[in-house]
Amino acid sequence: MMTTTTPTATTAARAVLAGRPERPRRSPVRRRTVVAWAFMLPLILTNVLVVLGPSLSALYYSFTDWSGVGEARWIGLDNYVELVGDPEFLNAFWHNIVWTVFFLVVPMVMGLFGAFALTRIRRFRLLFRVAFFVPYIVASVVTAAVWENLLSSDVGVGEAFGINFLGNVDLALPTVAFVNNWAWWGFLVVIFLAAMQGVDPSLYEAAALDGAGPFRQFWSVTLPSIRPTFMFLGLMTIIWSFLSFDYVYILTQGGPAGSTDVLSTLLYREAFASLRAGYASAIGIVMGVISAIVVAAYLIIRKRKDWAI
Amino acid sequence: MTLSRRGFLALSGVAALTPALAACGGDARRTFDGIEYWAAFPDDAQREYFQAERVDAFTGSAPVQLTIKPSESIGRLVQTALAAGAGPDLISTAGPAQVAAYAGAGYLLPLDEYAQQYGWNGALAPWALAASRMDGKLLSLPAGYESMILLYNPATLATNGWSVPTNRAEFEAICTEAKAKDMIPVAAGNGDFRPASEWAVTFALNHHAGPTAVHEVLAGRIPWTDPVIVDAIAQLSDYFQRGWWGGSVEDYFTTGFPSMYASLASGEAVFMITGSWALSELGPYFGEEAGNDATWDWAPLFPLRDDVPAQVWDLGIGQTMSINSKCPIPDAAAEYLDFLETDPGRQAEGIAEVGLQPAPVRLTAADFPDSVDERQSRLYVELSNAATIGYTTWTFCPQQTDTELYTNFDKVFTDLITPHEYCAGLDKIFRKELALGKVPAAPAPDGLAR
Repeated sequence: MMTTTTPTATTAARAVLAGRPERPRRSPVRRRTVVAWAFMLPLILTNVLVVLGPSLSALYYSFTDWSGVGEARWIGLDNYVELVGDPEFLNAFWHNIVWTVFFLVVPMVMGLFGAFALTRIRRFRLLFRVAFFVPYIVASVVTAAVWENLLSSDVGVGEAFGINFLGNVDLALPTVAFVNNWAWWGFLVVIFLAAMQGVDPSLYEAAALDGAGPFRQFWSVTLPSIRPTFMFLGLMTIIWSFLSFDYVYILTQGGPAGSTDVLSTLLYREAFASLRAGYASAIGIVMGVISAIVVAAYLIIRKRKDWAI
Repeated sequence: MTLSRRGFLALSGVAALTPALAACGGDARRTFDGIEYWAAFPDDAQREYFQAERVDAFTGSAPVQLTIKPSESIGRLVQTALAAGAGPDLISTAGPAQVAAYAGAGYLLPLDEYAQQYGWNGALAPWALAASRMDGKLLSLPAGYESMILLYNPATLATNGWSVPTNRAEFEAICTEAKAKDMIPVAAGNGDFRPASEWAVTFALNHHAGPTAVHEVLAGRIPWTDPVIVDAIAQLSDYFQRGWWGGSVEDYFTTGFPSMYASLASGEAVFMITGSWALSELGPYFGEEAGNDATWDWAPLFPLRDDVPAQVWDLGIGQTMSINSKCPIPDAAAEYLDFLETDPGRQAEGIAEVGLQPAPVRLTAADFPDSVDERQSRLYVELSNAATIGYTTWTFCPQQTDTELYTNFDKVFTDLITPHEYCAGLDKIFRKELALGKVPAAPAPDGLAR
């Protein structure tokens, strides 16, 4: 957008008195534009350097046999073709789907009901909010270490029940998901609670007058009112589920026998253990594409439904 | 001047790319005129000893600057620095497979002339030098070597009337009896370190299939699916499924090193099949430091088949040293490598003082100071006289094959895949890496050992 400024007689006179040519003044609109861009500049530069650049590099390397060092040889779609038939990739991909479904259901339901319950109590609400939120801010390595000991088959719950939770190929994935959920669902409680507190109280009053009980109020008033928040957290859950790495890596490193391998642990192993950075890049691109599809779907729904979030 | 959005974005892009492109220039900014060396140590004692006796004590043509890096990330840090055209003058790797990757990228200076100048071919074990060559060029020096051994608590054997097994029948008899007594026949687990499964695979390959068969596989003359290899894997899997390794399949996956050492010291476990590196980790679990009177000893691993030689030493290179091809003072770096590697007395002292892994030089009892633990000196003297060598998979298998080897063996004894499927998977990857020249040279089992 072009903007112009016209020197006024006063400003010209001031310039003459000052013995220097007058500099045209910027219009407020133009100044605001420059200021806005100036504020965005650091973020844009950072994103170009740490997001766009590596993303384009990963895209390029996904078409090569790069080992992570030295020259990369262009091999076209070979990495992607290999992915389709790679049982380790399919195994990890399946675990990501299981993981995503788990986190779309268990913590979301727990978060919703936890938040709804908190709206119903008057005392200790802040205490409960803090208690639910604290696990989320504890470092994942600490949380994982604590639960590893709690679940231990030597000294912990595992010993009491005679179950080796993290050593059993059938139980390891749900166990890791459980530990991650423990740290995660409290965050959802706080977010859902904030959304629920924004619901117009008159809606609840009207529902109560119509004879709706707490469950019916939750179902017919609360849920529709917080649907955008619910959908947004669902979107983020899907994206984060496909990026999940820390709890899996700390607790099981993808074991036992690959039973907790997810795409990110497979990617890490291919890049740094097998020295197949090109193949790892292809895995990363697939993860990125999945996230992009989810975001695009959300944006389309959001536009159609006219959600604010 | 008006700043349009398009202009602004273009400017931002240029501004962002400028430092990135500048970094691609490869002009490594040196902050030190001497020899830069990055290293990682498992404990403070080794670090302090190395600084005093291997860095400060060097009085060659250039000083050495030692930079400590975390053990778990030094490989990635070196890799990243090299890719950026920088990195230390001396490049340390975890084994020949990593050397092959760096060599292929042209990061390493050939050392053949220095080997001639300093007589490294006579000073270092031929098997280790052979494994350090790529396409006939010496690109690294073996800086630390190791062997698989059988660890045991003598009191546990004595109490139960057992003796150190020398063949499969004796080993299986003890394991069966120990399991019946609710003991752990072999302390094992990969809870702390998933690749630990390849220690067991190395044992099975070299002591069931035998080193000759393994050598043939590594040379590409027989496939991994050869019955002799498949049988070895099936036998090992059977041992795991009987609960001999780690007590049970599930416990194997969650057992870490402290538990293993503690169970060996307490008598709960009978044996531990591990590498010689473990000798420097036993202190906190045995004797005065642990507040008990437990002791440990080691023995060579035994054959699991009649055709296999009685004593096979599964040798491996735990650390290599190379010179960065961009090192401005390669002569000084080579001089320092010679200082680090070739003096038997220095190697023996490092073992005695802090349990440093020695370079593969020939050691005799006379090389060790009086303070040495006899069990340690005995090991390295015997290794120096090894008649038949075996092949540790992390040294002689290329990178992807090795990863597949330890990742998928866990699926064999959990019945997710069969031993034959496991070997077929290995063979497919190995053939590919063999064709690409990524397989380290493997000397014959009895041809190059001394």
